[in-house]
Amino acid sequence: MIELRGLVKTFGDLRAVDGIDLTIGQGEFFAVLGPNAAGKTTTIKMMVGLIKPTEGSAVVAGYDIQQSPLDARKRLAYVPDFPFLYDKLTPLEFMQFTGQLFNIDPDKVRHQGAELARRFHLDAFLNKSIEGLSHGTRQRVAIASALLHDPEVFVIDEPMVGLDPQHARIVKDILKERSGQGMTVFLSTHQLSVAEELADRIGIIHQGRLVAVGTARELRDQSGRDEALESSFLRLTTESTESSEPEPTQPA
Amino acid sequence: MNSASQPSGLKLLAGVHLRQHWRRLKGVMSQSRLLSATILFFLMGYCWLSFAIFHRAMRFIGSFPGLGDLLIERMLFLLFAFLFALLLISNLVITYSNLFRNRETNFLHSLPMHPNTIFQWKFLESTVVASWAFIFLIAPMLAAYGLVEKVDWTFYPMTCLLILQFVILPGFAGAWAAIALARYMDRRAFQYTLLAIGLVTLAALAFWLKAEQVTDDMLETRVMLVLDRLLRNTQFSQFAFLPSYWLATAVISWSEGASSATLFFILVLLSYGLFLGGVTMTFPGSPFYEAASAVQSRGSGMGWPGLRFRRHRRSHSNDFGSGGWLHALLSLPWWIPLESRAVLIKDIRVFWRDTSQWGQSLLLFGLLAAYIINLKNFSAQLNNPFWIHLIAYLNLGACSLNLATLTTRFVFPQFSLEGKRLWIVGMAPIGLNKVIQIKYTLATLISLLVTGSLIVLSCYMLRMPWTQALYFTFVILVMSLTLNGLAMGLGVIYPNFKEDNPSKIVSGFGGTFCLVLSFLYIVGTILILAVGSPWAQQARPLTTGIAWVLFGMLSLGIGYLPYRLGVRRLKYLEI
Repeated sequence: MIELRGLVKTFGDLRAVDGIDLTIGQGEFFAVLGPNAAGKTTTIKMMVGLIKPTEGSAVVAGYDIQQSPLDARKRLAYVPDFPFLYDKLTPLEFMQFTGQLFNIDPDKVRHQGAELARRFHLDAFLNKSIEGLSHGTRQRVAIASALLHDPEVFVIDEPMVGLDPQHARIVKDILKERSGQGMTVFLSTHQLSVAEELADRIGIIHQGRLVAVGTARELRDQSGRDEALESSFLRLTTESTESSEPEPTQPA
Repeated sequence: MNSASQPSGLKLLAGVHLRQHWRRLKGVMSQSRLLSATILFFLMGYCWLSFAIFHRAMRFIGSFPGLGDLLIERMLFLLFAFLFALLLISNLVITYSNLFRNRETNFLHSLPMHPNTIFQWKFLESTVVASWAFIFLIAPMLAAYGLVEKVDWTFYPMTCLLILQFVILPGFAGAWAAIALARYMDRRAFQYTLLAIGLVTLAALAFWLKAEQVTDDMLETRVMLVLDRLLRNTQFSQFAFLPSYWLATAVISWSEGASSATLFFILVLLSYGLFLGGVTMTFPGSPFYEAASAVQSRGSGMGWPGLRFRRHRRSHSNDFGSGGWLHALLSLPWWIPLESRAVLIKDIRVFWRDTSQWGQSLLLFGLLAAYIINLKNFSAQLNNPFWIHLIAYLNLGACSLNLATLTTRFVFPQFSLEGKRLWIVGMAPIGLNKVIQIKYTLATLISLLVTGSLIVLSCYMLRMPWTQALYFTFVILVMSLTLNGLAMGLGVIYPNFKEDNPSKIVSGFGGTFCLVLSFLYIVGTILILAVGSPWAQQARPLTTGIAWVLFGMLSLGIGYLPYRLGVRRLKYLEI
């Protein structure tokens, strides 16, 4: 479902993403971890076609995102850490707009939208202006809208930011449920507990390279020591830091 | 998926945006009917005033025997040529921001929407935003021209058609230039280049259009020679490949009844519009995506070598003890407390590093300075004190109008922008009142430095005695204090903590209110002071005294009162 082949992105002299190879199967829940400025968001941006890779390719749902961007995006959903929403629209109108953009049958939008609104506890906010909603509610509107077209691949950057425990639970449950139904999920997060709880496999990106991939248990076992995921993560991401260059500066 | 009966992406986007704009307008209307009525009244007043000035000027110029029509025509050619240049710049800047520095564009790129569709929508949006002011500016002028030339009713719909055909051309040019710049330049390099082009153009224009020293002898005996020079220097506006030339010729031809000539230029504008429109609407998808990707890919590590070096140097200066030259400079006035100095340094650095902020001000005041410096070429003819004082008051008006745009654009959003950083600035033991006071002082000092210098320069060029120069300098001092107080006070009373973009903060209710009040204050001040001028032909001390009392009361009401209300509001502020 997602195939990254030799993905490289350079910003001037800096190699922000340095040759990532990764295959994620259908229905797999993949979480990517990494320190700040490790190259996670840049990888995601190349994966969804917002920026062109300097080298390599990203194939999403069977389509190369650079060669057939529209075919890939029809099967893809992307929710950034601070998603854009039209402030003066209501969540209902925004979801209708998204449904029309993805060319979904209006009846399906109605049923699917109502169901998603119910699951995400958005019923009370459907007819309120988005500008007046809290960050957490906006985040739920964005995730619900992104799920409206039943994407085959769901890419999400820091989904738990601004969500209270109850709604974080709802988002986790829905994503896990959809993943079980065949949707591939690529989740970028700083919260190790989220990755450990949800992901089938976890990848750790450090200084633009995928330094480790495996299940949470495999990552813990790699060290040969009985340690928590946090310890593995810290060890993997600090081992080469001393010899590294200054912290890369990435575009916002 | 449903393939039939779904609106196109362009229609969807248009629908969403129309709905958004309509709700925004309704929001403004519902906030205060009085304010909406004031804004409407203000706009109508502008149209009427602008029409009256153009009408009067055209009738005056048209009354020159044998030359009137020629001069009016040349005025139209010149005005359209300048406005065309301004339209090019504004289209370039607005399209660049809209295509490459816009969160909606990024959002749309992640949807199954063709880059062509995204580009088409953003192009239309940018062209409308960049052109509305042009239409607003020339409508009263064309109405005045029609009245002076006694045209029939067909002139007005015809000019509307011509203007629509015309404004789209700089839109196309601006869009392609924005794509090219985004592809090959980073934002900072783009800003510096734009600024450099602006300054060079300004210098070239100041040199080319420099007013010539005309002696009394020449005015009496060699009028034709002077006129000939004037026409020769402005000949560039009749360059046959300029779209502004096509527009001006078509407008003039229609007013003269030469319909075939008008038709010809309509077809010229139409053919260029169709050709460029065809190219722009069909092909830009790929270059636009390439450019958008380049902009997204550009970290602060890219750009021009010199700029990179500066950033490198800045990022590697890890000595917390050294604050740089600005810190050293502001340490000289020892009486400023450390915490106030910290806010001052932060504000100056933020302002300086945002090129778009001071770039606009520099262009505005640069134009004004170029005009004032040229005054020396006229002052020889200005023997009559009436004209000298009239020009001095007009200069005061021009300076304060520029100042009002500056205070509304930069001072008004200061508090709203600070709101996002209240976790550090607001929580510091300095107190919000003090922060506002420092910002107000800094803004007043900077604006006074610029406008005060211009007023002193204006008085010097007009060869006015020092007492009069002092009078005008004092007036601009009071006006600076007032306009800054108004902008700062209203900024606190009507904050917008949700927006990061200062121009969006200004475009809201409070910003518009600030602009309207500033304009009314300036008009009121100039009228009061001109009526009570101590140098008027029938000046009486009582009239002058009353004028100054009124001026003082007006300044207190417009400047001090909102500032005090703003400070009081800070006590009960909940964020």
